[in-house]
Amino acid sequence: MKGILKTISATLLLVFVLAGCSDFEEINTRPDAFGSDEVSAKYFLTGIQIELYAPNRFPYWRAQLIHADRYAGQFTFGFNGAWWTGALAYDYNSAYTDAAYDWIAGYVSNLSVYQNFVKEGGDLENQNFYAIGLVMKGLYYQTYTDTFGMVPYSEALDPDIITPKLDSQSEIYRGVIAELDEAMAIIGDQTVTGEGIELLAENDLFFNGDLQQWKKLANTLKLRMALRAQGAPGADFAGTAISEALQAPLLSSEMDNALMEKDTEIDQFGNAAYGDVWHNFAGIGSHWNVSKTLIDYLRENNDPRLSRYAKPIIGGEFTFTKPAEGSGSSLFDKHVDFVLGELDNAGVPYTRNGSGDEFTISVPQDQDYYVGQPSRLNPEIFPHVKNDLFSEPADWIINPKNQGLEIFPEIVFTAAEGNFLQAEAIIKGLGTGDAQELYQEGIRQAMKIWRVEESEIETFIANEEMAQLNGTDEENLEKIAIQRWIVSYTDGFEAWAVVRDTGYPSELASGVSDFDIYAAGTLNGKYPQRMRYGNQEYNTNGANVEAAIQEQGPDEQGTELWWAQN
Amino acid sequence: MGKKLLFLLGLMFFSFNQNLIAQEQTVTGTVTDSENGMPLPGVTVLEKGTSNGTSTDFDGNYSLEVPEDATLVFSMVGFMSQEISVSGQNLINLELSPDTEALDEVVVTSLGLTREKKSLGYAVTELDSEEVNTVKDYNVASSLVGKVAGLVVNQASGVGSGSRITIRGNNTLTGNNQALVVVDGIPIDASGNESGGSIYNSTVTGGGITDINPSDIESISVLKGPNAAALYGSRAASGVVLITTKKGTRGSGLGISLNSNISVEETMFLPDFQNEYGQGTNGALYSDLDNFGSNSWGPRLDGSQQLYYTGEQRAYNAQPDNVENFFENGIKSINTIAMDQGGENHSVRFSYTNNQTTSVIPNSELHSHNLNLRGVIDLSDKLTLDSKATYFTQELENRVNVGTEGVLAYVYSMPRNVAIDDLKRYKPSLWSNPGMFPDEYGAISYAGQNKSIGNPYWMLNQDTNDERRDRFLGFSKLNYEFTDWLSAFIRVGGDVTNVRSEYIQDYGHHFFYDGRLNFSNRKNVEINSDFLITANKDLTETLNLVANVGGSLSKRTFEGMSVSGNQFRLPSRSFLNNTNVQTSTHTPLGVKKINSLYGSFSFSYDDFMYLDLTARNDWSSTLSEDNRSFFYPSVSYSLLVNRFIDPDRDFLDMLKLRASWAEVGNDTDVYQLYQTFSVPQQGYLGLTVLEGPSVKLNPDLRPESVKSTEFGVEFNMFKNRFYGDFSIYEIITNDMIFNVPVPFATGFSFFKENVGEVKNNGFEIMLGGVPIQNENFRWDISANMSRNKNELVELIDGLDYTVLNSLGDLSIRAEVGGGIGDIYGTTWKTNENGERVVNAEGFPVASNERVKLGNAQPDFIGGLTNNFTYKNWNLRFLVDGRFGGEIYSATSSYLDAAGVSERSLEFRDGGVTIDAINEGTGAPNDIQISAQQYWSNYSGITSNYVYDQTNVRLREFALTYRLPGESIDNIGLTSASVGLIGRNLFFLYKAADDIDPDASIGTGLSGQGISLNNAPTIRSLGLNINIKF
Repeated sequence: MKGILKTISATLLLVFVLAGCSDFEEINTRPDAFGSDEVSAKYFLTGIQIELYAPNRFPYWRAQLIHADRYAGQFTFGFNGAWWTGALAYDYNSAYTDAAYDWIAGYVSNLSVYQNFVKEGGDLENQNFYAIGLVMKGLYYQTYTDTFGMVPYSEALDPDIITPKLDSQSEIYRGVIAELDEAMAIIGDQTVTGEGIELLAENDLFFNGDLQQWKKLANTLKLRMALRAQGAPGADFAGTAISEALQAPLLSSEMDNALMEKDTEIDQFGNAAYGDVWHNFAGIGSHWNVSKTLIDYLRENNDPRLSRYAKPIIGGEFTFTKPAEGSGSSLFDKHVDFVLGELDNAGVPYTRNGSGDEFTISVPQDQDYYVGQPSRLNPEIFPHVKNDLFSEPADWIINPKNQGLEIFPEIVFTAAEGNFLQAEAIIKGLGTGDAQELYQEGIRQAMKIWRVEESEIETFIANEEMAQLNGTDEENLEKIAIQRWIVSYTDGFEAWAVVRDTGYPSELASGVSDFDIYAAGTLNGKYPQRMRYGNQEYNTNGANVEAAIQEQGPDEQGTELWWAQN
Repeated sequence: MGKKLLFLLGLMFFSFNQNLIAQEQTVTGTVTDSENGMPLPGVTVLEKGTSNGTSTDFDGNYSLEVPEDATLVFSMVGFMSQEISVSGQNLINLELSPDTEALDEVVVTSLGLTREKKSLGYAVTELDSEEVNTVKDYNVASSLVGKVAGLVVNQASGVGSGSRITIRGNNTLTGNNQALVVVDGIPIDASGNESGGSIYNSTVTGGGITDINPSDIESISVLKGPNAAALYGSRAASGVVLITTKKGTRGSGLGISLNSNISVEETMFLPDFQNEYGQGTNGALYSDLDNFGSNSWGPRLDGSQQLYYTGEQRAYNAQPDNVENFFENGIKSINTIAMDQGGENHSVRFSYTNNQTTSVIPNSELHSHNLNLRGVIDLSDKLTLDSKATYFTQELENRVNVGTEGVLAYVYSMPRNVAIDDLKRYKPSLWSNPGMFPDEYGAISYAGQNKSIGNPYWMLNQDTNDERRDRFLGFSKLNYEFTDWLSAFIRVGGDVTNVRSEYIQDYGHHFFYDGRLNFSNRKNVEINSDFLITANKDLTETLNLVANVGGSLSKRTFEGMSVSGNQFRLPSRSFLNNTNVQTSTHTPLGVKKINSLYGSFSFSYDDFMYLDLTARNDWSSTLSEDNRSFFYPSVSYSLLVNRFIDPDRDFLDMLKLRASWAEVGNDTDVYQLYQTFSVPQQGYLGLTVLEGPSVKLNPDLRPESVKSTEFGVEFNMFKNRFYGDFSIYEIITNDMIFNVPVPFATGFSFFKENVGEVKNNGFEIMLGGVPIQNENFRWDISANMSRNKNELVELIDGLDYTVLNSLGDLSIRAEVGGGIGDIYGTTWKTNENGERVVNAEGFPVASNERVKLGNAQPDFIGGLTNNFTYKNWNLRFLVDGRFGGEIYSATSSYLDAAGVSERSLEFRDGGVTIDAINEGTGAPNDIQISAQQYWSNYSGITSNYVYDQTNVRLREFALTYRLPGESIDNIGLTSASVGLIGRNLFFLYKAADDIDPDASIGTGLSGQGISLNNAPTIRSLGLNINIKF
């Protein structure tokens, strides 16, 4: 008996321990993913391009639209029937802020994978790919730091540093400019990244693999950042960087535009467009309008982009009813006067029937009237802000996907801005050249993106005061700022940065103070200077965030960034 | 082999012959309890030396055919056995005396081993069939509430959703904190038991224990903590719920039993609503249809004719019962037929259970069928085969999702003047004049058409959220008795679960107008093969050893597929080919294996001192070669000191001191070691795109370790009339395999690391007794109470806490120095002088910083069961409660923001000027704001909605009448009873407004501490009928 038992136990033991573990490695290897030995860097490059400019619907909606485009004063919510009032995001909202933060801050993940692959000693080492990565990193960090201020930079992209410190903006600007220089030096005179699997062609959605274009992009970005830094405390690197940039090729002609084509045939949960937010939800709740500030600049200056940027108002019959009680009741007259004042301002004729507690107005339909909707309206005026009295974005911007319709590309960097930046540098005395010529070329390039006819462009440039740099330096700088702001339409991050940096359009930068009409929010009426950090950074890197707050100022939307303090 | 068979045949022939030769006669009689004279059901009556036997019925009666010269053996657990020789008698009545000497209450413990409870060095609670079957719920977990010290059940929401069972607190951050469920010795698959938690739309599925049919349960042993569970290995680190299912009784002949459990379900309570103000905003009505919204911030309801959301003019009146009338009476009907038959060398049992439950929520239903076949057969006098096969199929229609976009989000916030019947016409074609709506297809809700406000009836009737589960559970076990002290078994068990779900949002849906669908299929298979060799030997006169050595091979696989489609081409039907944009995902077959060898050695010395040693080694396929083998031991000791204090048992039947220590290791999921890159399905412009991982994986992962120490005292006094059990424990978890959240700048969102330390300590008290006992009346009472304190001692350098879930400014954290489930959020903002501030417009403002507002785990839980028996009547009820612990009621916050809650009546009349400092001016605030402005901002401050979980309720109630023996004999029944049963009858105390603090948005760690538009708690009242033939 004991013998049998021994044999059985011994056999079972053998079966269990030896035979049982032989396939453990195999079954624990994921079958539906690649190892690093099977892939090429170019596939990751496409990923880091779309992730920064066409992320999925969740951040596209919350970061791009709810924050950047609205802070930029170009899009607005808050009309009657919208899901949100104009107060949204001026009133700190942690869920939307976190959505934006998680996307922007989280972007570093794919960038880091890519850079660590292609860097010296990486699995897919390739200097040229690395140089492109540095330019992407520059584009990214400019957006990231301009939105939040101090962020991890010098200790970022290194998985061995678990709690990277947050660097001052001046360090980040200095560092990014140095990295752009490094990228340009690596590229030198080369035009392609390599051969075979290393040849980057259509996987580069900006320039189809043309390295010289990347070099121009790097240089123009350097100019943008140096101009923004210039004058800020400790920005000693700015002057040199500006003059270096002006002496090297910049994005300036039509072929230089870095515009990223939208994929119109994929699901929005991969990569979204404005239309995915606009059309995917029943009713007008998810819609938004073009802002008063933008429409007014275009309309008052006879800018031919008006009809490219926005749609005419729909018009019709509208009833205004005085609320029975509450402050909405006592402010009824002020509220409706404000709304009707916008029609008057835009030259829209209307007939008013009746007066007192309830009256109607009749606005002509199917006419080319453009009315922009004021930003930051409070919830009490909301019932009177009728959607059909205000202009929506043009169809090209908000077309739905999967319907064979064209969708406006994402702006990465325009040739127009390359020209405006040069003009700005010249007027500031940091370079030489014909500022007006560059300025007008900038306008020309800006209009071409929106397919404005050549003749319309020339008429505008020839006739409009806005197209002439004929005032004082400050007036000229204001015009350049306004044009930089206008060309950044749909690129809210840059447009918002222009307002904060230059103070123009001043009607945006000065904030709001009449709380009968506007929402005070947690900003108490001030213009948003930054976004608050996402909770993820507090949750994972708390001590470093606290240290940054000590240096930068409280973690509030009203705290001015380093480059805005000049 | 041949010889053996021949011998067997011979033996059978011999015994057969013997029966023929001896003169047969029928013996009948009644067995009663010598203490109180009450009849004793379930006493085994056996002809000595044979397997011919029966057991007494409910009235203690038995009847058996035996030879004239036979000897009958009467035995029952807890009573002293008696032998009576028949000697030609036809009537043998007998009194059995309680066995105070042995108190040999036996419990089922690790590996399915039956042990005398007195010998155990750790805490075990056992529940019998009746305790889970009298007031039956389709989810067995509901029947554990309040009955087991230290066991917390968190309910989810709606029919077919699961529950969360934790024993002695949360041990780890890795999610796997729930007790392992073991059925007949084999761990079952529990995937799906940690689900939900999404704040938008949380589907809480069942899984694991929810698929077990209560009617088949013989008993449940709850093994608390690693000590008791050491032999189940890594999955048992959080304790084990050990379920033993019924099998036929040998020698009992054919038995048929019917059980019918039918109850009416209704909402136990609803939030308190206001009925003074109706739909509107800023104190005014919505002026036109375009303008319509869903708030109840309109003017006072005055009965005047006003614009309604349909465009009609309606009386502007309160509809006080509109929410209440949305809910229907549900019917829960669980019916079981069971048949068993036992012969000399076999027993077989078959049962079929049918469950038809309609929810209180319209069109939400659960149907299930459960078939179970169990057979035990002696293949020889040494070899026994025990097999079971269970098939379970469940169809669930319209599971209720919780969260901000769940069905109930649109029920609770319904404007106070909306008539519920109007909502039943959720699309134009349901109205007599469809043309009054501009869009032929769009969903209509109380804000009008296409307003992104859901209509609950549309969501329940037009959309689909269905699930079908099929599950097969079974095993075969061969047991061989080498000698009277040595036996061994081998066993193979299988558990196959298939879950198919259908999720459709129909064309015209309030959010996704063009509609979308998702169909998915998931299959989980678990195969466990094990063997065990058991030796039970007296080493000396006084020293006995029971040794077990065994091993198991566990293989778990999972695979899944899902297809999604967006934008229906033609509106009338929702199927895949009718969608415009389609995507699909596939989870290829994943396999996880664990091989184990284990053993236990139980020494008992002179029946008063016991020492148990266990050891187990696991080899897991999920860890690298260097780390995949891990060993863990346990030791426990118990001492019966009553023999020194009261050797004659005058008052003390038993006093036991016990101590134990155990360690359990724990592995991880598949594919957690090596970095890979994934390919998103869509690409971009036809290009291939690759993505990096968000988790930095780690080839050097080590197993987790859970160590537990426990001390206890048990006593039994006055011949079982008073008893108690006290335990104190500490459980420390180290090296948790955790996705450590890291700053994005590292290039990852998480690092997978072995980190941290979690400590749980607490105590459990159980006291019970029989205060009154006489011939006709008996009162049993038992109470339990437990306290668990959870602390996250350490996480990882540089990280103080981790966030488990968040909703706006609220976050549920695990914080170093705090615990798992700490609730953090904003308070009303104050300035540097500590004065409250309002913003420039005079609105309440939330603080920038978040502070700790509570913890999602209750401090104490307890239950009190009373059981009164008077003649044929039995009354039992369970009161249970939670004390301490907090929960955030997002539900309440939304009710206030929408202006529907009773609370929101405050300041309606004339508004309020908040006494605070105005941030705009820096001076005392003088700006008056409306109630709407007040509540919509106040509701955004987290601290205003963190409620104490404390509540005490009458959880279970059953009044049962057992039909007297004489009356049922005539109609051929063995026993029959009928009972009035109830569950969740009422609260004796509840601190929280609006919600049931026992329910949260999910059954995973992330679902704790938040209540968000959960389905209402159900009160059920019904009948339980038991009939045995």
